[in-house]
Amino acid sequence: MRIIPQIETPVSENYINFEENLIKLLGGIEKTGLDNQNAGQDSPRIILEQNFGVNGLLLCKDLKDKQGNLNIAYAFNMRDKNRISILSDLITLKQIGVKDIIVSEGIHPLKTVFNAAKPVYDVDILGITSILKRGFMNYLEGIVDKDEADFFNLGAVVSASTAVDGLKVKKLINIGADRFIINYTGKNPDENIIKYIKSEKKEVFLYVKESYIDNSPEDFIKANWRLNLDGIIIKITDEKANVFTRQ
Amino acid sequence: MFLTEKKDVKEIDEALSRYKKIGIIGCASCASVCLTGGSKEVGEMEKHLAASGKEVTFTISIDEPCDKRVLKEDIRFVEDEMEDTEAVVVLSCGTGVQTIGEFIGKKVVAGTDSKYIAQTEHIGEYNALCGGCDECRLNFTGGVCTITLCPKGLLNGPCEGHNGVNCEVYEDKECVFMKSYDLMKKYSEEENLSKIFNPRDYGLSVKRTKI
Repeated sequence: MRIIPQIETPVSENYINFEENLIKLLGGIEKTGLDNQNAGQDSPRIILEQNFGVNGLLLCKDLKDKQGNLNIAYAFNMRDKNRISILSDLITLKQIGVKDIIVSEGIHPLKTVFNAAKPVYDVDILGITSILKRGFMNYLEGIVDKDEADFFNLGAVVSASTAVDGLKVKKLINIGADRFIINYTGKNPDENIIKYIKSEKKEVFLYVKESYIDNSPEDFIKANWRLNLDGIIIKITDEKANVFTRQ
Repeated sequence: MFLTEKKDVKEIDEALSRYKKIGIIGCASCASVCLTGGSKEVGEMEKHLAASGKEVTFTISIDEPCDKRVLKEDIRFVEDEMEDTEAVVVLSCGTGVQTIGEFIGKKVVAGTDSKYIAQTEHIGEYNALCGGCDECRLNFTGGVCTITLCPKGLLNGPCEGHNGVNCEVYEDKECVFMKSYDLMKKYSEEENLSKIFNPRDYGLSVKRTKI
């Protein structure tokens, strides 16, 4: 099972220091022995999430330049950008060689400190998947060749607790989503949805905020071992002090 | 019905600060139902303006001030007073305000905030059910509008933030996609359950400004 940290790009910290600390963090995770890198070698080792911080594309590029072999995924949401801006990001990601993207609808601004912000939601994650994988509206014609349509490994963040979640997963599989990231909200996900995803030969990860991990990451992994996941993505808020570094 | 709410009267007073002779037009349709522009509210505004030292030149409630044909007929009842009027407070939705402003060619001041197309539960209690967006998708969703009822306006939900039953944003309300699913199941609309909505064409929303 892979253990992958996900972190938002820094707000006030210098990005060069941030990158250095990320590398130390990855070294620390490796030392714990929790991350089985042989299980899913194509999986990203770290996920950089774009929120209210330094431009994530810049960070992906800089980290790739400094750590050539580091497999980075770029996570973004449908809340903050319209289709033009998203396509611009995808074109940039392709040019800098970042193949792994993770898309979510994104938490509504009303539930954040930016509660007066206008959310975008121009396209939803099925919409962006159909643009990428089905060539919807030919937005990427001439930019991504047909034989390169699978350039991106698209991970879709979903909930997996109800029948309607299962339906959304099925639709995402039908239009070509590559991976599924199940948002853990404190309740166990529906194992049948996970089984269905696995039966379709798609990878499935559990996404958990570190605040949900009461004890150690090891305990959390053990508690969810029966789900037969490909990995657990742990959202950390501080690359220096987090669930991996605390004693 | 189009729901409006009363504006803070300070904003109205400020907008009228340069004017002395004021007319008041209410809406006897939607704004009347939601208690923002009926004859009672027109009377209240008249009293307020008079107490503020303004000269109220006329008051009138028009059945549908958003309908130019009705407006043209009804405004004749106050055409003499209108001559001597500097500004008009309009107690209707934004469409009524703009229609009247265009028609009379005088300063108009909106007395309400326009909200949304609403279902009336009781007088004073309304539910937003329609955003008047562009292509209506109710035939494919079990008859509930996910664009209006989902705070994210998603076509293909639910989002990842619900808790298994309720909405991420309005935690005391059921996620509309759960309701939509249940209704499609109830009506055996299997084809709609598997339907994937393409991203909206916002070009249609621009075009609709003139149909």
